[in-house]
Formats: sequence, C-alpha cells, structure tokens
Amino acid sequence: METSDKQQIIRDLLPQRFGRKGKIWVGILLVVFITGVICYLRQLSQGLVVTAMRDYASWGIYISNFVFFVAISLVGSLITAVLRLTGVHWSTPLTRIAEIIAVAAITFAALIIIVDMGRPERFYQLFVHGRLQSPIIWDVLVITTYFFISLLLLYFPLLPDIPILMRFAKGVHNRRHKLYSFLGRFWTNSPAQEKIAARSIAILSVTIIPVAFAIHTVTSWLFATTYRPGWDSTNFGAYFISGAFLVGAGAVLVAMYVFRRAYHLEKYITELHFDRMGQVTVMLALLYMYFNINEFLVPAFKMQKAEQAHLMGLFTGEFALPFWFAILTAMVIPILILVFRVGRRPGPAMVAGCLVVVGSWFKRYLIVTPTLLHPFLPMHDVPADYLHYFPTWDEWAIAMGSLAGVLLIITFFAWIFPILPIQETLSSIEEHETT
Amino acid sequence: MKQLKLLAAVSILLAGALTRPIALNAQPAKKSLSLTVGYFNDNNALQYVKAIVKTKVQGRFKPVANIGLCFYITADSPAYLLGRARTDEKGEAVVFIPPTAQAEWKRSIRQSFVVVSEGADSFDAAKGNVDITKARLRLDTVAGRSVTASVEEQTGSGWRPVKGVEVKIAVQRLNGGLNIGDAAAYTTDSTGTTSAAFKLDSTLPGDHAGNIVLVASVQDNDSYGNLSAKRTVPWGIATNYVSGFDRRSLFARRGRSPLWLEWMAYSIIVVVWGTLFYLFAQIGKLRRLGSRTTSV
Repeated sequence: METSDKQQIIRDLLPQRFGRKGKIWVGILLVVFITGVICYLRQLSQGLVVTAMRDYASWGIYISNFVFFVAISLVGSLITAVLRLTGVHWSTPLTRIAEIIAVAAITFAALIIIVDMGRPERFYQLFVHGRLQSPIIWDVLVITTYFFISLLLLYFPLLPDIPILMRFAKGVHNRRHKLYSFLGRFWTNSPAQEKIAARSIAILSVTIIPVAFAIHTVTSWLFATTYRPGWDSTNFGAYFISGAFLVGAGAVLVAMYVFRRAYHLEKYITELHFDRMGQVTVMLALLYMYFNINEFLVPAFKMQKAEQAHLMGLFTGEFALPFWFAILTAMVIPILILVFRVGRRPGPAMVAGCLVVVGSWFKRYLIVTPTLLHPFLPMHDVPADYLHYFPTWDEWAIAMGSLAGVLLIITFFAWIFPILPIQETLSSIEEHETT
Repeated sequence: MKQLKLLAAVSILLAGALTRPIALNAQPAKKSLSLTVGYFNDNNALQYVKAIVKTKVQGRFKPVANIGLCFYITADSPAYLLGRARTDEKGEAVVFIPPTAQAEWKRSIRQSFVVVSEGADSFDAAKGNVDITKARLRLDTVAGRSVTASVEEQTGSGWRPVKGVEVKIAVQRLNGGLNIGDAAAYTTDSTGTTSAAFKLDSTLPGDHAGNIVLVASVQDNDSYGNLSAKRTVPWGIATNYVSGFDRRSLFARRGRSPLWLEWMAYSIIVVVWGTLFYLFAQIGKLRRLGSRTTSV
C-alpha cells in the first residue's frame, strides 16, 4: 500500500471535530441529561414519592430502562466474541462501535438501579448485608464483571491506534495528547506486544460469552424467581438472551448508519456490512419471536385464572396498544424490511434498527410493569391509584436523562477516539492486497 | 319554552356563582367517633381499662389512630383522672389502674370508668363509659383431667358466688385458645362453679417440660366486664423447639447460604476475576515491554 493511501485512511478514520449538527446533538443530549440529573436531585430530597411507583407497581420505567440497558449491552459479546470466534471477519470494523455501546449501556444500567433504590446508600448496604442466595447480588456481581471485561475489550484493540493518535494530536490537542499518552505511550507495535494483546483479546472473547449469558440470565431470574403471573416461567433466561441479542443488533445498525453518515465512512462501513448485519438481525428477530410465542401461547392456552387478567390486559386490555406496538416494531416489521436484499441497504436497515430499539424498550416495560399490577394475592381495600401505573414527569425525565447519558458516552468516545480501528483496518487492507 | 330554558340556565349559573364562595369558605365537616370502653381483670392481679376508637368510612367502621384519650374513675373530673393515652394503629388505648387511685378503687364494690377523647382537628369529641361490679375468676384442676372455674363477686365484707355466668375454658395457643371440651362455653351453677373435662388429645404439644397453659375467661359480661385466669398444668407432651434460623438454606440469612452454592459462586468468581487480574497484569507487562524498547 502506498504511504499516501495509508495517510488518507488514517485521516479518514481519525476522530473529527464536531460540526454544527454534532454540536446541536451534544447540546440536546446535555439538556436532557441535566434535566434528568435535576429531577434525580428532586427525587433524592423528596423521596420516591415523586414517582408513580406504589405498593403494586414498585418497578416502573427505571427497571424497564435497566433491563433495556442490560439487553443492549449484549451486543459487545455478539460482535466482538461470538462472530470473532466463529471466524466471521466482516464484523471486525464494527467491534469498537459494539464495545462502546456495551460499556455505555452497562454503566447506566448500574446507575439506574441506584436511582430505583431511592436512597443511594442502599447500594452500599447491598454489599454489606447482601445475601449470596439472592439474584440481586448475582446481578451486581455479574454487571461489575461484565463492565470490566467490556472495558478491557475496548482498551486492548485500541492500543495499536494510540501511537497514531499521539502523533496527530501532538502540538494540536495537548489535553488529548496527555490522555493518549497516559493510555498507551508504551505501545511500540513490537511483535511481543502484539502477541500479548492478541492473546488477551482471545481470552476476553472467550470469557465474555459465559459472562454475557450470565448477566442476561440473572437479570431474567430477578423476575422468574418471583412467583407472579407473567414471570413464573422457565423460558425466561433464553427469552431474555434472544431479546438482548436482537436489540443489540438493532442498536449497531443505527450506530453504523449514524457514524457512516456523520464521519463519511462509506468506504469502511460498506453496504456489505449492512447486508450482513441485516441478515443477523433477521435471524435474531425470528429467534426472539419463537421465544415470545412460547412465552405467551402456552399460558394463554391454559389460561389459568391468575394469569388471565395479566394476559388479557396485554392482548386486548389496558396494555394492548403498547404490546402489539412492541411485537410489530421489535420483530414483525424489521423482519419484513430486512428479509429482502433491498431492505438491507443502509437507509432501510437503519429504520429497521430504530424500530427494533424502540419496540424493544416497550417490550421491557411490558415485561416489568403489567405483571406487578396483577399480583396473585391482591391487597384488601387497595387504593384505586395503586391499580394503574403511568410514570410521573420526574420518572420520564430521569429515564430519558439516562438514555441521553448512554448516548453522551458514545458521542464523547467518538469525539476522542477513532470509532473504527485504524491499525486493524490498515492491516486488513494490506492483507487483502497481498492475497 | 325557549325563555324558560334560558331562565333555568341563568338561575343555575347564578346559584353556582353564589354558592361557590360559600363552599370555598366552608370548613370540612368533622367526623364523629365511636368510643367503646372495656374493663379487664387479668388473673385477679392486673386491672386495666381499654378504649377502642373507630369512625365510619364509606359505611364501615375503621380504627382511628393517634386520638388522645383521658381515662377517669367514677366521673370525668381531674380529681378522678387515671391517666392519658393515645390510640395505636388498631384504634386501641390502655390505662392500668394506678396505685394513686387505690382509695377511690376501694371505696365501692361497683365502679364506673369514663373515657373522654381530647380535641382533634378532624373529629368531634366523644365520651364513653363502663360500669362494673368487682368480681374474680378462679381456675383449678381436680383429679384426672378435669377443670373447674368459679366466678365470685365482691360484697361488702367478702366474696359471693355468682350463678349463670358464661365462662370459656381453653388451652392457650399462639394467637388464640383451643377449647378443652366440646362446648364453646360453660355456665356457672348456684355455687358459682362450673366444671369441664379436658378432652383434647394427650399429644398436645406443650413447652420443653410438657406444660400447657389453661385459660378461663369471662368476656364482655354486662356486670363484671372481662375476667381471665390462667393455670399451668403438665398435660401436654414435651416439645423441644429447634430453631432453623441458622441452618444453611436458600432462604436463610446472610452468611448461611448452602455450601454447594457458596462453592459454585466463589469458584466462578475466582476463575473469572482471576482471568481479569491476569489480563490487568498483561497491561503491566505491555508497559514494561514498551519502556524497555524505548530505552534501547
């Protein structure tokens, strides 16, 4: 490869300054995030009474957001580990996008749990007084572990890019240069270092798969180990994992499109990537649909009295609109779009990805809240407002603030670091040319 | 017709406008309280007065908490004050008859207790009273497994048996009593006594020595109030309660989880975090390799 070509690729892939649209995007996210923080401070001073959560619906959109974030974080293991270990190479340029989505989502999954607890010192009490028998402790352990594995999977492949970043930041961006220098000034591209990094990535790729399965299984067990209509299921672990893979794939489709357009990466994130990622998403949507049929058809066939109110609420009752919206947008419409080659082009694929993400959020809400409104043992003389749940303004603001927080982490990462691996792209092009 | 409709509409509007300020200025109506007073004599040793305060909510009586009550003996005058108490969440308040009321207590064989509610923002004041004749209930056992209970009321110089009082005799269990025979209650004869055969299973669980507690009670009697007497008898079987609190199980307290769970969980944690620490060590190794290359 010519040196000028190399320089061009490096220039293409280096982090770029935000334009007007980028600044507006960051501004909107900051406003939403700060509004969320202010509402959280209000919740801290006044207590959880500012939310619509009461004795029946004690988990609302905070926990829906938590399950959503945990689900979306699975994309890191899908792209980085599962596809890498199965010898799929087209996904290599997408690994960093997937990993930063995973790190950002898992960070806010942990934070939103603290928000849901009300008083934040309860999180500390969880460690001091937690019981090993409780799925909540397993969740805390596995989320912490997954966070560090995802962080390492982001860091090791980033090391070969650090000398390039330092070279270009020197004298121009002093603060960034200091950061790059702190993170990887020791990287010299020596064969010994490359060997250690490659082995570490391989170990991480193997380790992250059982941990990722554990995080989603344990999260599903938070519900399934509780005896309630809609949660009393042996299907929940597989149901959650398949749903998590799907929403992660949808998020990658959206991120691919946005970064491709914003950073003009058409040469590096090609239509082939959208085509393949679209095929993966169709497969995952079909898999998730299979588990949904299992999850709803079997109890609906038996229609036990305790389950009846819950199921009918979803099918034709109070939650019918969000339920069918979630089924259509998270699975049916994306499948219909992506199953055709024309639907796997960047534009339609991005639309399908958006539908998957939005539908999946509603799906998480429907997993969490309707069940709580139909307990096996209803309270005597329960106040009428306990029987319904609609989030308050503060809850919406905090939940949207956490979503903005996830997007801010991804945005700031893309501002400081290359969103596609530079050195890996150069190597794969050179490898391609020699063969 | 049109004019009539117009007039009616204007009248309604006018009436609404006029009544609105009145409605805004009106104070919320105070609710009335129901106050029930009862006299209790436990084991002929402890005498107290209990008041229960309720109010009607949507057609049902519900207990009212945090209502201040003044308890009096004889009459509701400060000189006869027994004590003050506030109702709990069950709407109940209790005042034991204090030694300071001894002179008034001994003055007569008949007593009257008066309870008056203190002022409350949302409720009207209420007053209740109970009149009783001092009585005692005694419980004894006879040969075999029979129980006798006798009711006597105080006279000027001593005690006189009372005929026709209903007495319940039961074995004390957690949160209730288990009748010792077929009848729900027994009535005293002319000697003021009633007897009942103990017909319960001989394997009735007792304490560690096989003791059970017999309880005789007169409940809500118009003349004597509530009387009770207890007696411990060795008619049960010894039961040694072994606490499962510290047994290792999935539902046990912290630190008492099953060993298999601890082994599994800690093994997984050690393996995964061992791998992570190994990888952190690899970063250190990369740093050392880099600094060596730079220095060369």
